[in-house]
Amino acid sequence: MSFFGFDASGAQGPQRARGGRQQHQQRQQQQQHSQQPLDFDDTYKGYGEYAPEEEDFLNDETFGNDVEVGNNFDFGHGAAAAAPAASAAPGASAGASAAPPQQHRSYVAAAAGGVHPAAPVDSAADLKPMESLWNPAAAQAAPPAQPQGRVLSLEEVERQQRQMQQMPPQQMPPQQMPPQGYAMVPQGYAIPPQGYAIPPQGYAMPPQGYAMPPQGYAMPPQGYAMPPQGYAMPPQGYAMQQMPQQPMQQMPQQPAVPQAPVAQQPVAQAPVAQQPAAQPQLDRSASSLSQNSQSGTPGPAPMGEAELAAPVHQQMPQQMQQQQQMPQQMQQGRQRQRNREPLTPEEQKRLDIRHAKVEKILKHSGLMTPRDKDFITRYQLSQIVTEDPYNEDFYFQVYKIIQRGGVVGESNKGLIARAYLEHSGHRLGGRYKRADIALQRMQSQVEKAVTVAKERPLRKQEKELAQQQEQEGEAASGAAADSRDGVLGRISSSLNSKAPRRQLQIPAANKDALLNSLLVNDEHHARASAAAPDALMEVTESLGNVDLSQKSRVRRRSSYAFSSVDQSSVMSRSGGRKFVLSLIETVYEEVLELEANLRSGKATDVQKLWEALHINDELYEVCPFISMLSFDKGIKIMPRIFNFLEKEQKLQLLQTFFSELSHLNIIIISSYKTNPQPSEAQLKQIDVFQTVFLKIIVSFLSSSSNFIEIMGLLLHLIKNNSVSFISTSKIGLNLITVLISRAALIRQDTNRSNMLSSPEISTWNEIYDKLFTALESKIAAVFPPREYIAKVTEKSAGSAAAPQHYDQAYIWQFLASLALSGKLNHQRIIIDEVRDQIFGTLAEAGQLATAAAGPGPDAADSRYRRDKLYQDLNLFLNVMGLVARDGEISELK
Amino acid sequence: MLFFSFFKTLVDQEVVVQLKNDIELKGTLQSVDQFLNLKLDNISCTDQEKYPHLVSVRNIFIRGSTVRYVYLNKNMVDTNLLQDATRREAMSERK
Repeated sequence: MSFFGFDASGAQGPQRARGGRQQHQQRQQQQQHSQQPLDFDDTYKGYGEYAPEEEDFLNDETFGNDVEVGNNFDFGHGAAAAAPAASAAPGASAGASAAPPQQHRSYVAAAAGGVHPAAPVDSAADLKPMESLWNPAAAQAAPPAQPQGRVLSLEEVERQQRQMQQMPPQQMPPQQMPPQGYAMVPQGYAIPPQGYAIPPQGYAMPPQGYAMPPQGYAMPPQGYAMPPQGYAMPPQGYAMQQMPQQPMQQMPQQPAVPQAPVAQQPVAQAPVAQQPAAQPQLDRSASSLSQNSQSGTPGPAPMGEAELAAPVHQQMPQQMQQQQQMPQQMQQGRQRQRNREPLTPEEQKRLDIRHAKVEKILKHSGLMTPRDKDFITRYQLSQIVTEDPYNEDFYFQVYKIIQRGGVVGESNKGLIARAYLEHSGHRLGGRYKRADIALQRMQSQVEKAVTVAKERPLRKQEKELAQQQEQEGEAASGAAADSRDGVLGRISSSLNSKAPRRQLQIPAANKDALLNSLLVNDEHHARASAAAPDALMEVTESLGNVDLSQKSRVRRRSSYAFSSVDQSSVMSRSGGRKFVLSLIETVYEEVLELEANLRSGKATDVQKLWEALHINDELYEVCPFISMLSFDKGIKIMPRIFNFLEKEQKLQLLQTFFSELSHLNIIIISSYKTNPQPSEAQLKQIDVFQTVFLKIIVSFLSSSSNFIEIMGLLLHLIKNNSVSFISTSKIGLNLITVLISRAALIRQDTNRSNMLSSPEISTWNEIYDKLFTALESKIAAVFPPREYIAKVTEKSAGSAAAPQHYDQAYIWQFLASLALSGKLNHQRIIIDEVRDQIFGTLAEAGQLATAAAGPGPDAADSRYRRDKLYQDLNLFLNVMGLVARDGEISELK
Repeated sequence: MLFFSFFKTLVDQEVVVQLKNDIELKGTLQSVDQFLNLKLDNISCTDQEKYPHLVSVRNIFIRGSTVRYVYLNKNMVDTNLLQDATRREAMSERK
C-alpha cells in the first residue's frame, strides 16, 4: 500500500508523471474524446538526464508523481521546517496557505475510480505528498502564525495521538471530525487569523516524517473524532480484531474525509458564503498556482479546480460532506475568537515551551502501535516469568515471604504485572484512570508470556532434534527453527539470561573413584586401631541396658584411645575434609528438597537425608556426622534437619553425638586445655554452636524425651568419653548440665505424679555414680585458669564496646545440677573441691563491693558484677540450703 | 537467574553502583531485568567534581554489562537464604 494513497489509474502511468491539473484535463479529454495520440514532450519528464537508479518504480509512491527530479527531500521530522514555524510571523499566513497540496487524491476517489472506470478521476490528486517534504520554501511558509492558534495542552495532544493509534480509522464516523483537529498539529496549522479553517487535506498529520502506520488508519484528522468510550477497550485486542476483519474496500473510505477537501469546498462555500471560508479557497487556489510554478509544473487555473472537484464530489455521499461542514464552521468561529485575544510575552514564552514539549512527544510517538508494544512487552516478560517460581526465582520468592512475615501475598504473576506497569508508566490507567483495567491487561500479558515461556523449551528441543537429523544426514527442514529470530534482533534463548556463560568450568568430579580411595584408607585405619587396648570395656558391660553393637564399641574405643585433639586428624579419621564438606552439601540438598516438598504439599521422605547424615556409618573411625559439626554450615543446618527427622532418628543422632563428644571440634576448641588461646573466630564458632545446636538439644530433651532416653544419652557420654576432659570445655560442661538437670527435673516431677520404677532409679544412681567418679578429684578443673579467662575476655572485649567479663554462670549451673542430683556425700565432695573457688568468688565480690561504694563511672559496673557473682554462686549454694551474702555464707532460710 | 532474583529484592533500596569506568552512582534501585540492567532514581555521583555532567541527572538506566560492583547495605541480604538459593540453583543445574 502506498504511503500517501494509491493510484488506481496506474494504466496511465506515463501521463501521471506530468502531475498538475493540466495533465488531468488532458486525461479527461482523452477519456471523453476517445484516444488522442500522446505527445512525447508532454509526458517526458527528463529522467534520462539523470543517472539511472534502482527501484525507480517506487519513486512515485515515495515522493509523489509531480516532483521535479533533483529536489532535496526532508524525511526527518522536519526540524528545519518546524523551527521556522514557531517564529513565523502571522503575516505570513497568506503565504502559508500555499503550503497545502490541494490535489491529494483520496482513497475514496481512488476506490471509486477503480470501481467505475468511466467516472472521471482527479488524477492531479494522485500520489501527491506533502509539499513541505521536498520544498523547503513551501514548508517554511506553511506554518502560519502558530503562536496565535489554539494551543493544545500536553494531555490533549497525547490523547489525540492515542486515538490516532488506537482507532482503526473506519471506526470513526466522519461527521465527528472535531473542530480542534488541525489545531493540534504542532507546526501550527492552526487556523490563521483569516480563519480559513478548512484544512488542506493531510495537514493534520504532522507533515514531515511523522511515523504513520502503514495501514493508513493513522490519518490523524480522524483521530480525534474517536468517541471517548473507545478508550476503555484494551487497545491491542481492538486493533487486532478489527483490522483483519475490515474488508479492504472499506479502508479507502476513511481517509476520504479529510482528504477530499477539493470536493468539499465548493459545497462548503455555498451555504457558508458569508463566512470567510470562501476566502481560503481563493488563497489556496492562488497558492496552489504558486506552488505548482515553484515545482516547475504548470499550474492549473483556479477554475479548473472547481470543475475537477465536481465529479469527485458526486461520488461522495452527500450526507457526509454536509456533516463535515458543520464542525468546520464551528471551528472557524472558535478559532477566530481565540485569535483575537492578544498574548502576553510570558504566555508566549510558556506556549513556546509547551510547543517544544509537544514537539518532543510527537517526534517518535506513533512509531509503534499498541499492538507492537504489547508484543514486545510479552517477549520481554517471557524472559522473566517462569512456571516454577519457587525453583527458578527462589531467593526473591522466599525473601518476600519472609519480609511479609510468612504471609504469602500476591501471586508471582500479579507482582510481575504490577512491576511492569510501574515501568511503563501506564499504572495510572491512562485518561480514564482505569488502573485496574491496565493491571488486568498486564496480567493477561503475563499469562501469555508464561505460555510463551512454556513453549520455549519445546522449540529448543525441536531445534536440537532438527540439528540431529541434519547430522544424521536426513533432510530435515529448517522450518523448525525459531521463526521469530531476527524480528526483534536476536532473541536470546533462555540460555543467556537464565544460565549465563560461566567464567569457570569445573568438570564433574568422579565421585565414585574418590569414595573408593577414601574407603581403602579408612579400612586401613580401622585395622590399625582395632588393636588398641580397651580399658573401659568392663564398665560398659556392667551397664547391661545399653545396647551398643560390639563392632561400634570397638571402633569408638579405639578412636578414643587415639584421642588426638588435632582437628585435621579427627577429620581424616572420618573420611577427610573434602568428604565431610561434600556430605554437608548433600545434607543441604536433601533438606532443601524436603522443604520444597513440604511447601508444595508433597510427602516427605527422610530416608535419603538420614543416609546422608551417616549416623550409623561404621566405616569411619569417627562418625562423619561429628565432623560435619566442625563446620559452621554443618551446625546451622541442624535445626532444619531436626524438623524432618523422626523421634527415633533424633534420639539415635544424639546418642551418636554424645558418644563421640571428645571428637567434636567444638569441644576441643572450647576447652582451655586443648585450646588455651582461642581465636576470635573460634569464640564466635562456640557462640554459634551454643545458640544453634545446644538449643535443639534442650528443646528435644524437654519436649519429647523420657527419663530412660536421657539416661541413655548420659551413659553414652560417660562410657565413650573422658568426662574430665569434656568438663574443661564450656560446651561440654553445658551439655552435661543439660542432661543431668533435665533428669533431675523429671525425677522431681515424677515424684509427684507417676513414680519412677525402682530399676529406673537404681540405674540412674548407677549412672550418676559413674559420672561422679569420672569427675571426682577433678571438679575444680571445670574452672578455667585465670590466663584463659583473661584471654577470652580480651578477645571478646575487642568485638564489643562495653567491657566484658568472663561469665562463669555456666560453671555454677553445672555444679548446682550436679549437687542437686547427688546425695549429701556427693555434695560434700563437691564443696570440698571447689571451696577455693567459692571463697575466691566471695573475695572478688568483696573487692567489687568496695569499688562499687566509691564514686566514678565504674561503680555501677562493679555493683553489677558483684551482684552477678553472688547470683551465680548462689545458684550452687542454694541447692545445698546455703546462701552467700555480703561476703558471708549463711544458711538459706 | 539467581542474581536476577536477588537484585529484584533490592528494588526500592538504596545502592551504590560502581561502573567499569569508575563512576560511582548512588541511587534508589528502580528496576532490574534479566540482563541486570539497572534503573536508578534520585542518583547522586560520589565524585561530582570529576563527573560534573552527572550533577543534573536524576535518574539513569545502566546497561548491566557496564556494572562493576553494586554496593549493598548488609541488612539487605539474607545470607542464609542466599546460600540456600545458591544451592538450589546448583542442584537444578545438575539435573
